[in-house]
Amino acid sequence: MKPGLPERDDNPCRPRHFRPAACAPAPLEGPAKQALETSHTRLIIAGALFCLAFLVIGARLVEVAGFKGGETRLARLHVAERPEVARADIVDRNGVLLATTLDSPSLYADPKLIKDPEAVAQKLAALLPDVGESEIAARLAADRSFVWIKRQLTPSQEFEVNRLGIPGLQFQTEGRRVYPKGNLAAHVVGYADLDGKGLAGIERGFDDILRDRHEPVELSLDVRVQYILRDEIARQVAEFSAIGGMGIVMDVTSGEVVAMVSLPDFDPNTPGSANEETIFDRATLGTYEMGSTFKIFNTAMALDDGIATLSSSYDATNPIRIGRFVIHDDHAQRRWLTVPEIFEYSSNIGSAKMAIEAGTDRQKDFLGRLGLLKAPSFELPEIGAPLVPSPWRPINTMTIAFGHGLSVSPLQMATAVSAVVNGGILRRATLIKRPAGYAPSGQQVLSPRTSEEMRRLLRLVVERGTGKLANAPGYLVGGKTGTAEKVTGGRYERHGLLSSFIGVFPITEPRYLVMVSIDEPQGTRESHGFATGGWVAAPAVGRVVARMAPLMGIPPVDEDSPEIRRSLLVDSLSPQGRKIAAN
Amino acid sequence: MALSNSFDFGRPQPSFAEKLRNINWGLVLLLTVLAGVGFATLYSAANGSWQPWAAKQALRYGVSLAIMLGVAMIDVRFWLRYHSAYVFYGVAMVLLLFVMLHGRLGMGAQRWIDLGIIQLQPSEVMKIALVLVLARYFHGVPPEEIGRPTRLVWPLVLVLVPAVLVLKQPDLGTAMMLVMSGGAMFFLAGVRWWKFAIVLAGGAGAVPVAWRFLRDYQKNRIYTFLDPESDPLGAGYHSLQSKIAIGSGGVFGKGFLQGSQAHLSFLPERQTDFIFTMLAEEWGLVGGLVLLALYSLVFIYGFAIAFRCRNQFGRLLALGITVNFFLYVFINIAMVMGLIPVVGVPLPLISYGGTAMLTVMFGMGLLMSVYVHRDTRIGRFSESDG
Repeated sequence: MKPGLPERDDNPCRPRHFRPAACAPAPLEGPAKQALETSHTRLIIAGALFCLAFLVIGARLVEVAGFKGGETRLARLHVAERPEVARADIVDRNGVLLATTLDSPSLYADPKLIKDPEAVAQKLAALLPDVGESEIAARLAADRSFVWIKRQLTPSQEFEVNRLGIPGLQFQTEGRRVYPKGNLAAHVVGYADLDGKGLAGIERGFDDILRDRHEPVELSLDVRVQYILRDEIARQVAEFSAIGGMGIVMDVTSGEVVAMVSLPDFDPNTPGSANEETIFDRATLGTYEMGSTFKIFNTAMALDDGIATLSSSYDATNPIRIGRFVIHDDHAQRRWLTVPEIFEYSSNIGSAKMAIEAGTDRQKDFLGRLGLLKAPSFELPEIGAPLVPSPWRPINTMTIAFGHGLSVSPLQMATAVSAVVNGGILRRATLIKRPAGYAPSGQQVLSPRTSEEMRRLLRLVVERGTGKLANAPGYLVGGKTGTAEKVTGGRYERHGLLSSFIGVFPITEPRYLVMVSIDEPQGTRESHGFATGGWVAAPAVGRVVARMAPLMGIPPVDEDSPEIRRSLLVDSLSPQGRKIAAN
Repeated sequence: MALSNSFDFGRPQPSFAEKLRNINWGLVLLLTVLAGVGFATLYSAANGSWQPWAAKQALRYGVSLAIMLGVAMIDVRFWLRYHSAYVFYGVAMVLLLFVMLHGRLGMGAQRWIDLGIIQLQPSEVMKIALVLVLARYFHGVPPEEIGRPTRLVWPLVLVLVPAVLVLKQPDLGTAMMLVMSGGAMFFLAGVRWWKFAIVLAGGAGAVPVAWRFLRDYQKNRIYTFLDPESDPLGAGYHSLQSKIAIGSGGVFGKGFLQGSQAHLSFLPERQTDFIFTMLAEEWGLVGGLVLLALYSLVFIYGFAIAFRCRNQFGRLLALGITVNFFLYVFINIAMVMGLIPVVGVPLPLISYGGTAMLTVMFGMGLLMSVYVHRDTRIGRFSESDG
C-alpha cells in the first residue's frame, strides 16, 4: 500500500471515533457482510476450541494434583520410578534372608551446573577410590544434563560428598541388591547388576519371577547346613592343599538341595572382584569323571537287571589288558570276589567284568534312566552337560563301570544316587522349597529291592571298607568312595585327583545324601600320603552328618541293636573278606 | 507515539490523550497481575531471593510494559503502510538465518543472538512477524477470492519457510506454534474446511517421513512421553519429576517458598519451562486453576477485541496474537503435566526469559492498538500484495 492512498473509510461516527457505544455501525452489504459473518463464525469456533483445550488441561491439573492427596500420589510415583525396589527377596527354607534390596544413594551430576570439572573430579576421586579422576572429569565434560558419577554409594560416602557442597551434584536413591550371607551361598543365589538384572545363579534363573513378585522366593537351602558343608569342605581344601572343592546335601525323598557349595567362591556383594575361577560353579556347571562312586550305578545295574546277585562272584585275580589299556585294582585282592566284595574293596577289575557281562546297551540304558547322559533341568542357569563317549565301545563300557570315560556334574551324581537309595525313584533336583512332607512324583528307575540291597552295600563300605572315615556314630552313614584321576591334556594324571565321597544317612531309611569332592588334594603325613576319597572326602562327610543330623531332627540310633544288624546283613561275604575288612 | 501522530492518513487522528484513555487498562492490569505471579514464583524458585531471577524479570516487565504501551499508540494502519509488516518479517527472517550461521550455542540448540543486553531469540520475533504479515495478506484478499488455491500459495510459503528454519535449529515447540498460529489465521480468513482436512491428512501422512528428520533427543522425548517410566533417570526425568512435584502440592499446595521438590533441585529448569510445576507445588490445585482462569481472561479480552473490531486486518491481527498467547500457555502446561512431549515453550509472563516476555508484550501492544483503533475502517487494497 502506497502512502497517501485515500482512505475508503466513511465511518459515520468519525467525530466520536472512540465512543463505540454511541456508534451505529454502517450496515454492510453483499460479500463484505458475508465475510464479516464468516469471520465471526470462525472466531466463535476458534474460541470454542480454545475453551475445550483449556478444559482438558484444567481436568488434567485436577487429576495430577489430585483429590487423592498429594503425598500418596507422590509415594506411588516414587515406586513407579524405581521398579527395582520391587525385586523380591531370596530366603532359605527357614526364611533366612539371602538376597534383599536396600535403598542406597547414587551420585549423579548435571555437568551444565559444574563450574570447574577438573577440580570437582579431583575432589570426588579422593572420596570414591574406585572411579578414576580422569573418568569423572570426562563425564563432567559431557554436553548433557545428566551423568552418573557412581552408583550405590555407602552412607559415609554420601555424607562426604554432601560435605563438599558442590552445586550440580545430586543423589538419586536406588535399590541396591544386598546379600547378607556374602560368600556362603554365592553360587546358588548368584548376583544381580546395578540395574537389578540377574546375572548369575537364582538371581538370573529366576530373574523374571524376582522382578514381578513381591513375596520372597523360598529356596530349599538351609543356611545352617550350607554353613556346615562349606566349613567342612573349606577345611579339607586347606588341609590337603587342594585347588577347590564342592559338595551337595540333598533330601533324597524330595530332590531338594539343602546345601550346595563350590570352592573357591566369591562375595556376590562385590561381583566385580570375582574371577573366572571363583565364579565357576563346580557343583552344577563342572563335569568330572567321578571315579569309583560310579560303581554304585554299575552294581545297581547288575543287580537290577538280574545279571548278578549278591552272591555272584567275579575273577579279580589278574588285571585286564585290552590293547594298550590295563585295568587294575587299587586294593588288589588277587582272587575271585563276590559282588559285595567288589563294591567294598572298590575293585575295578570286578566292576569291569560285571559291566561287560551286562553289555553296552544295558549300561547305556541304565545310566540314561538315571539322567546321567543328558544335562539335567535345574533352576540355575549354570548347568553343565555330561561328556558322553561317542562311539561307546566295550572299553568305554568297562571304564565307565568304575567311573572313567563319562563326565557328569556333581549335581547329576547326587540326583542319581538319591534314586538308587530312596527305593528307586528318580526325582528332579530342585532349589525351591517343597511343602513339608510333599514328595513330588518321579520315575521308578530301579526296583525297591535293588535299592535296599544297594543300601546294605553302601553301609558295608563305611562299616568295613574304604569309607570308614565317613562314619558318624549313631547316624548309620552308608556311602561310596571315589578317587578319579583327572584328565589333563588327554592323559590321566597320577597326582591330579578328584577325591569324592557320597554318603547317605540314615541308611536304614535314607533321608539325606551328603556328597563331598575335593579337587586335586595333596596327601599329608596324617593321611600317610594318601589323597584318596576315603582319606580326603569321607571324613568331611562324616563330620557334616554328625553336625547336621541333630539340626535336622534325626535321632541317633544304637547301631548294634539286633534289628539294625539284621536289616543291614549282607550274608554272602567270604570269611576271608571279613578278615581283611576287619583290619 | 509521537511517531504515530506524524502520519497523516487523510483524516483527523485522535489525540494522544484520547488514545491513552482508550487503552484497555483492564487488560494492562491483568497482564501485570500475571507478571506479578511470575515474580513471586521466581522469587521462590531462588529460595526466597530476588536474585538471580525475580529482580531482572521485574525490570524486563517494566521495559516491556513501556514498549507495549508504545505499540498500542501506533495506528494499526502503520502496519499496512510502507510494507512495514513485510519489513518486520524480513528482519525476523534475516535474524533467523543469522542465528543458524552464527548463533550462540544455548542449551544444545542454536536459538540465540547475544546482543549484550539481552539474548535475542529470532524465532520469538518471527511469531509476531508472521501474524502481522498474514493479517496484512488476508486483509488484502477479497472474500470471493479466498477460495482460489493460488491465493494460498504465498501465505503458505510465509508460514512454512520460517517453520522449517526453526525446526532446523532445532526447536520443535516454536515450529509447531508457528504452523498452528498460521493455520488459525488461515481458518479465520475463511479458507474452506476441506482444505484444512487435506492439510491435516497430508500432515498425518508425513509423520513417518518427518520422524526421520527429528533429532535423537526429540525422538527420545516422544518415546519418553509415551512411557515416562521407561527412563526415569534419563529423558523421562523432567516429565516425571514435574508430575511428582505437582502431585505433591495437593489441593492447596505446600505454601509459598515451601515446595520441597522444586527447592531441593529435583526439578531442572524450574525457573523457565517448568515454572508451572513450582507454582502448582506451592499453591496447589487451587493456585493452578486460578492461574488458568487469569490466562482465560486474557484470551477473552483477545477474542472480544477481535470480535468487536470492524476491520479484517485488526480482527486477524487480534486473533493471531491471541492464538499465539494461547499456544504458549497450552503447550507449556500440557507439557508440564505430561499431556504432550517435552518441548521448549515458556509460560508467558511467568517463565524467566527476556525475549518471550518482549514478544508477548509486543503482541499485547498490537492487540491494544487494534482495540484503540477498533472502529477504524480500512479499505482493501486494490492491488495484490502477493
